[in-house]
Amino acid sequence: MNTSINKKPTLRDIPQARLGVWILIAGEFVIFGGLIVAYLLYRFRYPEWAEMASHTNIVLGATNTFVLLTSSYFVVKAHDAAIKKDKNKITLYIGLTILSALIFLVVKITEYSQKIHHGFTFSGKELVEQGKHIESTYWGFYFLMTGLHAFHVIVGAIVLFIVMMGARKGKNYQRIEVAGLYWHMVDLIWIFLFPLLYIAN
Amino acid sequence: MTEHKKTGFLKRFFFSLDHKDIGFQYLLTAMFMAAFGGFFVYVFRYNLAFGPDDIPLYGNLAAKEYNQLVTNHGAIMIFWVGMPMVLAVLGNFLIPIMIGTDDMAFPLLNKISYWTFLLSCIVLLSGFLMPTGAFGGGWTMYPPLSVSDFGYNNPNTTFKANFFTGNTFFLMAVALEFISMLMGGINFIVTTLNKRAKGLSLMKLPIVVWMINIASLLFMFSVGPLIAGTFMLLMDILVGTGFFDAYRGGDPILWQHLFWFFGHPEVYVLLLPSLGVVGEIFSTFSRKPFFGYKMVIFLVLIAGILSLVVWAHHQFVSGIDPGAANIFSLLTIIISIPFAGMVLAYLGTLWRGDIKFTVPMMFALGMLASFTFFGGFTGLHLGSNVFDIYAHDTYFVIAHFHYTLFPSVILGGFAAIYYWYPKFSGRKLNKTLGKIHFWGTFIFFNSIFIPLFWLGLQGQHRRIFDYSNWDKLLMQPNHIMARQIATVSLIFLIITQFIFLFNFFKSLYKGKVAEKNPWKSNTLEWQASSPPGHGNFALYPAVYRWPYDYNHPDRDTDFLPQNEK
Amino acid sequence: MNFFPESNSSIALEIDNLFWIITGVVGIATVITLFLFVYPMITRKKKRTKIERYMVDFTHKHRIWLYTGMFLLLMGDLYILVKEHSIWQRVEQELPEPDFKIAIVGKQWMWEIIYPGPDGKLYTDDDVSAINNLHLPVNRVIHMDLKALDVIHSVFLPQSRFKQDVLPGRTITRWIKLNKEGKFDITCAEICGLGHSMMRGNLFVESEEEWKDSMDKIYGIKK
Repeated sequence: MNTSINKKPTLRDIPQARLGVWILIAGEFVIFGGLIVAYLLYRFRYPEWAEMASHTNIVLGATNTFVLLTSSYFVVKAHDAAIKKDKNKITLYIGLTILSALIFLVVKITEYSQKIHHGFTFSGKELVEQGKHIESTYWGFYFLMTGLHAFHVIVGAIVLFIVMMGARKGKNYQRIEVAGLYWHMVDLIWIFLFPLLYIAN
Repeated sequence: MTEHKKTGFLKRFFFSLDHKDIGFQYLLTAMFMAAFGGFFVYVFRYNLAFGPDDIPLYGNLAAKEYNQLVTNHGAIMIFWVGMPMVLAVLGNFLIPIMIGTDDMAFPLLNKISYWTFLLSCIVLLSGFLMPTGAFGGGWTMYPPLSVSDFGYNNPNTTFKANFFTGNTFFLMAVALEFISMLMGGINFIVTTLNKRAKGLSLMKLPIVVWMINIASLLFMFSVGPLIAGTFMLLMDILVGTGFFDAYRGGDPILWQHLFWFFGHPEVYVLLLPSLGVVGEIFSTFSRKPFFGYKMVIFLVLIAGILSLVVWAHHQFVSGIDPGAANIFSLLTIIISIPFAGMVLAYLGTLWRGDIKFTVPMMFALGMLASFTFFGGFTGLHLGSNVFDIYAHDTYFVIAHFHYTLFPSVILGGFAAIYYWYPKFSGRKLNKTLGKIHFWGTFIFFNSIFIPLFWLGLQGQHRRIFDYSNWDKLLMQPNHIMARQIATVSLIFLIITQFIFLFNFFKSLYKGKVAEKNPWKSNTLEWQASSPPGHGNFALYPAVYRWPYDYNHPDRDTDFLPQNEK
Repeated sequence: MNFFPESNSSIALEIDNLFWIITGVVGIATVITLFLFVYPMITRKKKRTKIERYMVDFTHKHRIWLYTGMFLLLMGDLYILVKEHSIWQRVEQELPEPDFKIAIVGKQWMWEIIYPGPDGKLYTDDDVSAINNLHLPVNRVIHMDLKALDVIHSVFLPQSRFKQDVLPGRTITRWIKLNKEGKFDITCAEICGLGHSMMRGNLFVESEEEWKDSMDKIYGIKK
């Protein structure tokens, strides 16, 4: 009495790419969460780090925050356009998002070169030579966390580009939503990093 | 199925997106890595029993090589044998076919996951080719020893010199392996949630599918901080940051927290899928419904959540706050309760059962027995912070965790292989060779580790190349004999595995052809042909019942497949 | 066959006893579980009706059995916890007044013992350091400042059932009271690199007079 009748495998009503990305986002948050917890543990232990945090460039950081927030808005607009399957608007808004990502990276590079110029490097060698041993590790966190985040920005931009090219050929519109979700995550992580690294002193 | 055989070897084993092929690739890779892990343990155990000179097949062993072999044995057996064996192989092979669908939710991601895994194997093994030799600081990678052999990063070395070290390659390999398993885990969870057959509600899933998914979830929530920690440690080595450098504000204990926050759930990641396999096998070969299905899932969830908050029991004497140690000791000992419930429920399945001693059933019984009686119960000893003062980092700990991991990975893994072999190859393994293999594995495994419990109580500490410095404490005739019993048993254990290899590969081509449902089991995979073709089912099943309706009083047969009304 | 090496500290016997207490709890659990394991295998050939086998309903009766088992183990667990708690408190959380203070520094691959010198105070100019040989008086409360220089080591005194990891950049103070004279071992229990297995020290527990003599020898005081 076998009742195997279906010609195709069953799919539930969950859009599976979106589900996958949500789980991926949860995983990414745990990774950054680990970094942030480690950073906070040290930060509360060493009051010296507050002085180091005051060397960060809040203006550039705030600019980047603004750029990322705007880009999130563009992604939302791109998603709207994707629902309407409006290829031109998709290209426009995703293009703007990628442009924001590029601006973000340019600002980031400016910031990094300023820091390195002032002797605040990733390895903290210069500070160690000045005898500021404990302070040097602050910059390790600064560069590791922002660098890892910048890496996500690059990956996000590449994904968005691929998705955009797909949409221009008129296929896989649903991917825009998924890539957008990922982009929001990149944005949100920055919202955590910015106050922790730049503002709090 | 005929189309299956036509595809070439290269295509099948390198580029196939089919979940069964990927599972098989994982299996072969895990066996390949197990050969390394097994060889390493043979070399250093031989040294401990009979001295470092003229080790057969190896030659003379130096202290540095001893450390490297010990380290890589641990890492390989956990990350490159355990993880693929119980999570990737079982998850890939079983989940789609047991939930009655064609493939994973994201076949390409699955393939990428395997390639990343393979890359991590290559990176790990190429650590041995580095000018400084492979990493030898213990598989737990505690800094500062993992930063350099002398505990600090020499500021004068170049990035390149730091990059081509065993330490860097070891850490990169570990990070890659984590990322690979994360991708696999996402795939398992999405597949299970989204591609279940018609009528297959979550509470009708086979227990092993539940267990693999809970293990994947646990892995995902515990590994993140360690991935972050791995980046930090890598930067300490490569660039010279001070994340774990005590003289620059870093804290070596932070790494221990990050590591064991992952490390304890990791044990359950390895254990749960294997307990799932045992559950399936118990039910099938006792011809009885799985006892306390919902209860077991509930207890597993509780144990999983508890496992995220007990990590510091690995650190009772590592310099954490002694007050906090009390809480961790309490939680650790309390975690025995859900496991007691689980084991009792499993024994409830056996109770009044029509038990058939097939080879998979023997492995499943052996797994549960050795896990419970030695692995689980000595966990109470080590969960006690007071006794751990003495037992920490002695062979008592070694024997304890081998008694948890060996049953989970090896005995559970063999149970799964013997049970599902007819399905995935379409042929049967030789029963007699299987039984010899079981008894050899089981007896020699026990005779390795029971002496080690005693040696641990005698104060024999870990990772020592040569015990002759402690002539009064550890070089009495009894101690030497115990070490030799363990080593000789190990050699026999390894020899026994060749019986399995012979059986496995010979039956792949020459074994008796297996029917569709040789064990008369209920779950959906037995409704597909053996071996299942691409897409698994010609007609996809609809599900009407849970998978454990054995000996249903209303039916004549003693089994009742899930897709029968 | 003895299970533990000889013991020389006030805590050692308590730790050994705790081991046997836990083993007792575990032993009872083992007997019960072993019965549940073996009984179904022995009686597997017995003819049973389908209704007897089909225990699908997780009935009240079954649940009681499961809960009883878990409850019994919980009682055992609590017993262990109660027993261990006071020992842990005395060993790790309390520091009784010291009669004598020393410091032990782990470095690759030796133990540096810092004695307080003739003035009896640690970290003053007249501190004297020795390598690997630790002389301690019997029946005195001794404070040990434990440190490491390069990587993590672990001070393990097997006969005293004492162990503490030592970390670079940290000082951990622990106490010990020895009650048996003789020569014992100091070992390193945490892998610390190439020479880990050579990292061995001697603990000499001496009577008051002998100890004073050996201190004088270390301090270079001639009588």
